[in-house]
Amino acid sequence: MRKSIDFCQKNLALVLLIFAGALFSATTANFLTVTNALNILNQNAYTIIAMCGIALIMIGGDLDMSVGYHMSICGVLCAMLLTRTGIPVPVIVAVTILTSVALAMLTTFLTQLLGIPRIFVTIGEATLFQGFAYVITNSKTISNLPIAFKNIAQGTLLHPSLTYATLLMAAFVVIMSFVLSRTYFGRQVFSMGGNLTAARLAGINVMKMKYIIGALVGFFLGVAAVILIGRTGAAAANTAAGVEINILTGILLGGVSIRGGEGKISNCVAGILLVALISNGMQLAGWNPYFQYIAKGVIMLCVLGFDMFQMRRRSVMNNRRKEEAVLTARQEA
Amino acid sequence: MPILEVSRVTKRYPGVTALDDVSISFEKGEIHALMGENGAGKSTLIKIIAGAEASDGGEIIIEGESHRGMTPLDAKRAGVSVIYQELNLVPSLSVAENLFIGKKVGGSFIGPDFKEMRRRAAQVMRDLGSNIKPETLVFELSTSQQQLVEIGKAIVDNCKVLIMDEPSAAIAVAEVENMFRIVRELRDKGVTVVYISHRIDEVFSLCDRVSILRDGRYITTERLRDIDRRGLIRHMVGRELSETFPERRSRMGEIALEVISLTGNGDFDMDLTVRKGEVLGLAGLVGAGRTELAKMICGDVKPVSGEIRAKGKSRRFGCVSDALNIGVGLIPEDRKSEGLFMDFAVDWNIPSMSFKRLSRFGVVNQKKVEALTDQYVDALRIKTPSTRQVVRNLSGGNQQKVVVARALAAEADILIFDEPTRGIDVGAKQEIYRLMNRLAETGNAIIMITSDMEELLGMSDRIAVMYEGRKTGELAREAFSQDRILELASGYSV
Repeated sequence: MRKSIDFCQKNLALVLLIFAGALFSATTANFLTVTNALNILNQNAYTIIAMCGIALIMIGGDLDMSVGYHMSICGVLCAMLLTRTGIPVPVIVAVTILTSVALAMLTTFLTQLLGIPRIFVTIGEATLFQGFAYVITNSKTISNLPIAFKNIAQGTLLHPSLTYATLLMAAFVVIMSFVLSRTYFGRQVFSMGGNLTAARLAGINVMKMKYIIGALVGFFLGVAAVILIGRTGAAAANTAAGVEINILTGILLGGVSIRGGEGKISNCVAGILLVALISNGMQLAGWNPYFQYIAKGVIMLCVLGFDMFQMRRRSVMNNRRKEEAVLTARQEA
Repeated sequence: MPILEVSRVTKRYPGVTALDDVSISFEKGEIHALMGENGAGKSTLIKIIAGAEASDGGEIIIEGESHRGMTPLDAKRAGVSVIYQELNLVPSLSVAENLFIGKKVGGSFIGPDFKEMRRRAAQVMRDLGSNIKPETLVFELSTSQQQLVEIGKAIVDNCKVLIMDEPSAAIAVAEVENMFRIVRELRDKGVTVVYISHRIDEVFSLCDRVSILRDGRYITTERLRDIDRRGLIRHMVGRELSETFPERRSRMGEIALEVISLTGNGDFDMDLTVRKGEVLGLAGLVGAGRTELAKMICGDVKPVSGEIRAKGKSRRFGCVSDALNIGVGLIPEDRKSEGLFMDFAVDWNIPSMSFKRLSRFGVVNQKKVEALTDQYVDALRIKTPSTRQVVRNLSGGNQQKVVVARALAAEADILIFDEPTRGIDVGAKQEIYRLMNRLAETGNAIIMITSDMEELLGMSDRIAVMYEGRKTGELAREAFSQDRILELASGYSV
């Protein structure tokens, strides 16, 4: 009993996801089919890919609030290159991803130069990127992307709904899970999130790590942007606006602490899917589409509150355990 | 009639009885020490006296009046002031505003009369023998000056009982005397001071009586002139300690580390050498630049000029891992904020400096991690229910051992201990001393930064003294004397 409660607490997002899934299966016809499941994964592939980067940042103890417009500006750039130049598609994709990496590393550079936390730098950048995205597109949507490019996201394998985007997402999730849980690099990231000073004094080159993490975030956001505009076949300045809130909510639901140092990729995936399922469900139920913002806001606040509650509860339990430990130590002595 | 009486107070937390039927009475105008090992119940007791925690049984009697369910405000009104270890001042307000916080000082409904407030604040600070200006902002003050402001606050509150929780822990040796003087003056004015401290010398030189708690129970109250150190320690730990400082038999080897006119991070022209098997004590006031020196030696801060030679070669450390690779490891001053990952398990913390060595192709070998952890948990006798236990749950002494283990596990053999026994109890201190001795005996070189005079004299083979970023002298074992160290530390000989 206690074990299963423990499991539910540690994997809250997964439990809620199964619960929500069961609810929709019971109330909506055709929900529980392979095709539908694959469609949901396909629709969220780009969010989950971006999440891989943002989870890395958050476990490392930072926050990134520029995700949406970062992706938008990369998407817009990519779409413009595709429609206005004759450069081969693979080169354009590479350029897009490299630009994204450069932007994210620029963020790291600015945090270092200005000496302010990443969250504030990225809040500033979000507006900056937004401006640039509108200026270079003249606030028009760029559509008619070449088929060869759209295939990157839309092409399928084995099953008509199993897209390359989904496969790519799955591969990244597996790799990131492994990297975070098993590698030296993962240990360094967790250490930095757990206690930055102790990490530095343990010999971790914190500055170098922040650039590496920055580069990886840029990579994931770049790929996510390519997948997103490949799936929709169009790009505009507000293509990915507001995505960061979905990602942040999903990651927090997935058990990553806002203070860093803990989290599991698989649970974050469940968190993202849960958020997606909720907004999807509300649409299916025919609610006013703006209600989903209210729902997301409520979820976000609940999750943050829960995070704080966990922390407080932990310190209470720790005190108790500590006292017990002192007592047993005394009895032994 | 005692001014403050604690009568049969019991406090239970889930799973543990923090105070078990404790009764102590405090007389008017005495300095009454409260002693006991960590976890003996001192903090709980003062929290109950201050109304910050409710007791489960018993009562607090202040001037003959019984108080139950007292709130902090009730306690203050009854004349009890507490100066906690973490000072409770508002850093962004002035000294005067802090002194009179929550009080009406003349003025109209628009606001207080600041001129009057400053005048009175200046008076209070002058009475304390301090020339701190009332308009100074608190964050500009040193810790000891802030402590004075806290004392001033208690005086403004007209306190009859002043409780001080380890007031000397955060301030430098030279400043302690001044604090003593003020405490004695308060006593002579009829204030009762309840003085909590781990430092035995201090209690003997300052206090009139001492009450001892052990494991949440009241043991005894003695006049300090009727008891000796041994007796006091016996009451505290419930057993005789063989000696305070275990003897060390180490052979000094070749020079392990040499610092030659190192400048940077606030230090100037520092010269030091430490040999294998040697414990070099580094003395000085808080802010003398000792920790800053340690940070340069361990590669955390780059020196501006000068040279570090380790194991016979000149070294340039770009970051901490460079120093670790040569075997130079720092056991930092503040274990909670600098040394430990508090929410991570023991088997993360101990190998945390060694993960690179424990991985192949970037993948961490969990078996090796466990083996290394077990090895050091055994070697250092770290008391933990399992290696999966989160470090936050361990006692201070065991946490300190984890920080030491982390450096040892990284195969460091030139070790810099920065305040190795701060905030841990007598028994755990002994274990740390024995461990340091064992390390020296097996050929490790140790630099020990400490503000604890007994520890400095008891553990060092040689003592270097610093003052304002410079070395002011070095003493060989035969020349050790408290007075001489204090002189050098206050810069008299410069």
